[in-house]
Amino acid sequence: MFRPKSTIILFFIAAIFMFTVAACFSNESNSRWANAQRESTSGAKPSPTLPTQQTASSNPARSSKPLPGGSFNKFFPAASDGYTTVASQEKGGFAEYKLKKDGKEMAMLSVSDTAANPEATQKFQGSARTISGYPAVEQGSTATAVLVDNRFQVKVLSRNPSFTKNDREAWLQKFNLAGIAGL
Amino acid sequence: MSKPIYQIVDELPTGGITVKLLQALDYVVPGQWQNIVGFDNTIRTVTGETDEGMIQKIGERAIFLYNDPNQGYQRALWIYETVGKGSGVLGAAALANKIGENISFLSFLDKITPKADKAQAIDLGVKLVAELVAFCKINGIPGDSIGDFVGSLADYSGESLMRMAALVTADALLPLGPDFIQKVESYVGGANPSELEQNGTFSQIQAEIPGSDTSSKQGFINQSWGAVADWMSSFVSSRGLTQESVVGNLKNYIDITDDRLDYVSAFLDVTTDYYQHTGVQTLARRLVERAVAEI
Repeated sequence: MFRPKSTIILFFIAAIFMFTVAACFSNESNSRWANAQRESTSGAKPSPTLPTQQTASSNPARSSKPLPGGSFNKFFPAASDGYTTVASQEKGGFAEYKLKKDGKEMAMLSVSDTAANPEATQKFQGSARTISGYPAVEQGSTATAVLVDNRFQVKVLSRNPSFTKNDREAWLQKFNLAGIAGL
Repeated sequence: MSKPIYQIVDELPTGGITVKLLQALDYVVPGQWQNIVGFDNTIRTVTGETDEGMIQKIGERAIFLYNDPNQGYQRALWIYETVGKGSGVLGAAALANKIGENISFLSFLDKITPKADKAQAIDLGVKLVAELVAFCKINGIPGDSIGDFVGSLADYSGESLMRMAALVTADALLPLGPDFIQKVESYVGGANPSELEQNGTFSQIQAEIPGSDTSSKQGFINQSWGAVADWMSSFVSSRGLTQESVVGNLKNYIDITDDRLDYVSAFLDVTTDYYQHTGVQTLARRLVERAVAEI
């Protein structure tokens, strides 16, 4: 039997479904990033503090707020072996230098204070590897990082295929990691 | 809250006159600029990363950093956008003024419209300072010394260097001629504070320019201009840039029917927004560089 009311309802459901599908496909990028946008603009803290990470510091007097980026500068490696360094960014809890050779960008060297992003310490949990005695991880295909005193992440990122994982590890060892631990 | 940063980067145009202008200027800084558009694509290009999980984390961190107003990124974008818009308004005023010079009965326009050269020179000085302020909003003041900071500025490359190339050619050399450095020095240095305040770009971003009043802000613009004068001068001379060579290259990309350089410049001013386009690309690059280091 023909039931016009049901037909109208079905039509609206179909229309809403089609509209939703069209909206999803029309901007795939938006759907990928929409959650991050919502979380970082809703006032909710996007990166919950991880208590297990915060208790293991050897320096209880250290502020729980991110340290100024400028406090990391003196612990970066000096230019050597034909490489030069160029100061690139210095923000709260973050400092970064470019590592260049023959004018080409070879890698990025960075120190970040995980007080600003505690989630970053999770990847070091259970890591059996160490570099200069600090827990170390490979991240993706271009990054190697160590966690100093359960607080400061020191990372080297390849920017040229000839700058290998071995190069990243060698340059991590050139940081004054003990100096960073003493902050 | 304005648009999300990923949407702003996704919506950068892949064609149009701004992109053509930048393509035409490739010969000034060969190979430095690729029109990188799209948020995902920017992450992949800047980091060289292919791991999807990592790309997701980088993007999420970049979005979080951008949305924190204390980080300065939103303000930097506002500066790039505002300077871009101010440029368009000036283009309209400059065209009106040119008509005023040519047609006597419209000469009264001179009373309400600044001389084109002076308006251009002030706008150029303000644009340069805007670049400096936006740089500091995005990157902080990197390093432990003035030398580190200058080294960081001198390391301009990619879309940032292209923005400077466009500034030197489309906003300096074309409208003001080969002695544009001296013109900015004399026009900006000799301007009354009220003339500076009447400049659309200056009036909009003046709160971001160091200095307690217009005179001290004017002093800051003069100092900044003086600091980069040598760099700009060698940029022009080492590349053999002339008004004719720039227009000649532009003609390969953009339909310019008039050889009068002031008209060409005014035309580019009203029709392009290279400053905002490359500014968004610079901001996205730096956000991604920081995000991948922090995750």
